[in-house]
Amino acid sequence: MFTSNSTSQNSFLVSLKIKLSKLLLQPTFLIGVVLVIILSYLVIAPIVSIFSNSVSLTMMDAMLSGGKDGEFTYKYVDRVFTSSISEKIFWIPLKNSITVSFFATLIALTLGLILASLVTSTNILGRKYLGFLLIIPYMLPSQAMATAWLTMFKNRKISGPQGMLESFGITPPDWLAYGPLPISICMALSYFPFAFLLFSSALSKIDIQLEEVASTFGAKTKAIWSKIILPLLIPTTMSVLLLTVARTLGTFATPYILGTPAKYTLLSTSLYSSVRSNDSGVVAVIAIVLSLIGLMLLLVDIWVVRKWQRFVTVGGKGIKRQPSKLGVFRMPTTIFAWIIFLIAALGPFIVLALSTLMREPGNFSFSNFGLAYWTGVNVPGMDQPGIFTSPEVITALKNSFLIAGSASIICGVLGLLIGYAVVRLPGTLISGFLRQISFLPYLMPGLAFAAAYLSLFAVARGPIPALYGSISLLILVMVVTYLPYASRSGISAMMQVGPEPEEAGMVLGAGFWRRITTILAPLQKSALIIAIILPFITGMKELSLVVMLVTPGTELLTTQSIRFLDFGYTQLANATILIIGVVVMISVFILNRVTKTNLASGLGG
Amino acid sequence: MSEIKLKSIIKNFGGNSIAVDNLSETFPAGEFVCLLGPSGCGKTTTLRMIAGLETPDSGEIFYGDKTFFSSKTGELIKTENRNLGLMFQSYALWPHMTVYKNIVFGLEMQKKSLEEKDKRYLELEKLFHLENFRDRYPSELSGGQQQRVALARMLAVKPSLLLLDEPLSNLDSNLRLEMRSELKRLHHSLGCTIIFVTHDQMEAMTLATSIAVMNEGKIEQIDKPMEIYNNPKSLFVAKFVGSPQMNIVNSKKDEKLATCLSKKINIEKEKVKNFGIRPETMKMVKQDDGDINGTIETIQPTGADWIVGVNVNGKSLFLISSDPPIGKENDTVGIFFKPEDCHSFDDNDLRILKN
Repeated sequence: MFTSNSTSQNSFLVSLKIKLSKLLLQPTFLIGVVLVIILSYLVIAPIVSIFSNSVSLTMMDAMLSGGKDGEFTYKYVDRVFTSSISEKIFWIPLKNSITVSFFATLIALTLGLILASLVTSTNILGRKYLGFLLIIPYMLPSQAMATAWLTMFKNRKISGPQGMLESFGITPPDWLAYGPLPISICMALSYFPFAFLLFSSALSKIDIQLEEVASTFGAKTKAIWSKIILPLLIPTTMSVLLLTVARTLGTFATPYILGTPAKYTLLSTSLYSSVRSNDSGVVAVIAIVLSLIGLMLLLVDIWVVRKWQRFVTVGGKGIKRQPSKLGVFRMPTTIFAWIIFLIAALGPFIVLALSTLMREPGNFSFSNFGLAYWTGVNVPGMDQPGIFTSPEVITALKNSFLIAGSASIICGVLGLLIGYAVVRLPGTLISGFLRQISFLPYLMPGLAFAAAYLSLFAVARGPIPALYGSISLLILVMVVTYLPYASRSGISAMMQVGPEPEEAGMVLGAGFWRRITTILAPLQKSALIIAIILPFITGMKELSLVVMLVTPGTELLTTQSIRFLDFGYTQLANATILIIGVVVMISVFILNRVTKTNLASGLGG
Repeated sequence: MSEIKLKSIIKNFGGNSIAVDNLSETFPAGEFVCLLGPSGCGKTTTLRMIAGLETPDSGEIFYGDKTFFSSKTGELIKTENRNLGLMFQSYALWPHMTVYKNIVFGLEMQKKSLEEKDKRYLELEKLFHLENFRDRYPSELSGGQQQRVALARMLAVKPSLLLLDEPLSNLDSNLRLEMRSELKRLHHSLGCTIIFVTHDQMEAMTLATSIAVMNEGKIEQIDKPMEIYNNPKSLFVAKFVGSPQMNIVNSKKDEKLATCLSKKINIEKEKVKNFGIRPETMKMVKQDDGDINGTIETIQPTGADWIVGVNVNGKSLFLISSDPPIGKENDTVGIFFKPEDCHSFDDNDLRILKN
């Protein structure tokens, strides 16, 4: 008895000793554990908090109705779904959201498919440039299109400077200036590049031999497209459809700018007004609904991808499709493609830029042009300093760089760390958990996630202080929201490198830190730069995520432009948006330089 | 220079199959050992456990008087401190370092002086014909050059144990032949112990001083190459080594042929589940002059010899002949077996010793 006991104790000690020395051998494990702890708090806590908020009484309501603070209640669920104001705060916005999403997606999808086909497979004029130029709208913040539209079509219904058309003597009707039509069009024009990108890449991945076989049977170009290429694009089409719907549902800027004047409310803007009126229970319920819609769309997408798996063509020799000759249609299609570029990319830029240079809209005489809105000390008629001297803009610029900059650096490093832990600890619980949890924020629209953070960090909890009103809250929420993209690219970057370079160093006597610094880090340099610049670009134009978390003093360029619009300072708002556009363009340029490839692949958000 | 001793090594990656199954073996010092087997047989896992890149679930690994790993005492020496050379199939040259940096990396880890590094580099540069490549990056080298850099990097620190994981499989056939003689020459001049993993039986036959044929996590047979070839201990080894494969005759399915063979080698047919005959040991003779008759199905000239498919009572036998075949397709010919070259295997697929 005694001996067997002592041997079993002994063998326990021995296995413990092996486990410990393995742990020291692979600090990856420790990194993994630390990441699990951090992410659990940052990702799961907000979700839990929003669910609890949706069913517990707020202090304010407790005082009014005589209940207890934090008491369980269905009050907010009722308010959103069944009360007398439910029409106004939920059902009508839901109906509007669906309408707008439907039309915006339809237009974006059609434009994307047609343009991708033209650019990848025909001899349309300037196809080399169009491939890049048509992606530009994707780089602009979503309010650029909306404010440009407003600058152009605004009528006297709302205050502020005249719209451009009106200054020419044409008064645009309300339905053209505000509401569902312009919202749908602006969203479509902002999001079609996404469809364009996905279709282009799908088209270039289709094995050319599939088409060549068809042509040996005598199929003409038209038959090849209708019988082979288009059916093969079905899975891509489904993905584009669902992802575009998800994006349009989460967009805040466009409906806020173009819907508010006509009292046309979408779910996103309704959520925002609930936040502004401090109705945190209602906020929680609407945020959950938005998340559920997002989740549903994602599940459908996964299902579709799986169902259409058989359409995935493997292999191919990477031969490029010969551009087919368009004949008489060459000119019309060329004009069509360039007009889309003009409307969606160049147009907004010109409109925004012109509006900031002309003192009075619509007056093209030379004396009317000037830099007052940019460099003026006191802009006439506004009692505001110009952009370059405005303390608000300077603060916002600093904040934008600070927040997007720190968030993207943290995100990039975190993404690679997660990638390292996931790839190096294959088959472990940690690896699976990290993979899943870093993907979780993808399911929640930015607005809902921001609402969750708002409720979590409004007060101090345990060792974590109340972060509301601080820059760090904005950085944190950005990091977590972009984490799905960062961790995915981190995982794939680590997969690509594989364990061998590190193992080769190990054999030659390099310890863990030595391997990280002399082998892994240099190998992942460009992956890291990409992992930092991509979230930076998204962060610079981010609005929906931050709009309800900013406070005076923590405004970003994007939110500052919304403030200017709220006050009717259209030109200042436009100038601010132009600054964002320029920063983003420069970042994209740097990114292209670093990756030496076409951008496009993987521009998230 | 020391021997490597593995004692009841078990490694499981989770899942149903076991990667290395209670493996005990000693690889003597100074040998060029080939671990040969199909993919998934555990050969690379065994190599990686010797290198310390994987840890066995249980068992012990000794290198001379050093204990690399023991699940009995809990000893574990890190890869970094095992002082061995390892070469990967992909070479794993660091793409961000020049040829020079790659090669002297190990010396740098040992904190050697610049002069020492330069001196050793010049030696290796000469040995592996890498002159003028000093400042190039791996991507600017051809496959064969990368291979030589990887070899030089491994040898820079003068390890006494070399582990090679399919280092030749990324080369084209000419270069492979060249590198094979290079490796053989190195083994002679360095005199170190080499463990070499491959799935290519030809490579194993030509390089190794002893071959360990692995299957499903176990070593089926470890012997000198010709011994493996001439006296395979199991049906698996018999089938895996040799190309074209040994002809296998099942005593139930190919009864007539089996009866003929059992008479020829004087063994009871009931004891034997399968007979095996190597293609080059059979001889094609005129009809009725051999042990049995068959019809020629196919003739494949390879240049050096002819691979002839002969149908004997419904069973296709392949034989290699260095002389032009005596008939053409559909001709009937006789086949002559040499009794000493006929193998027989029992119900457990193990060799039946000849009496």
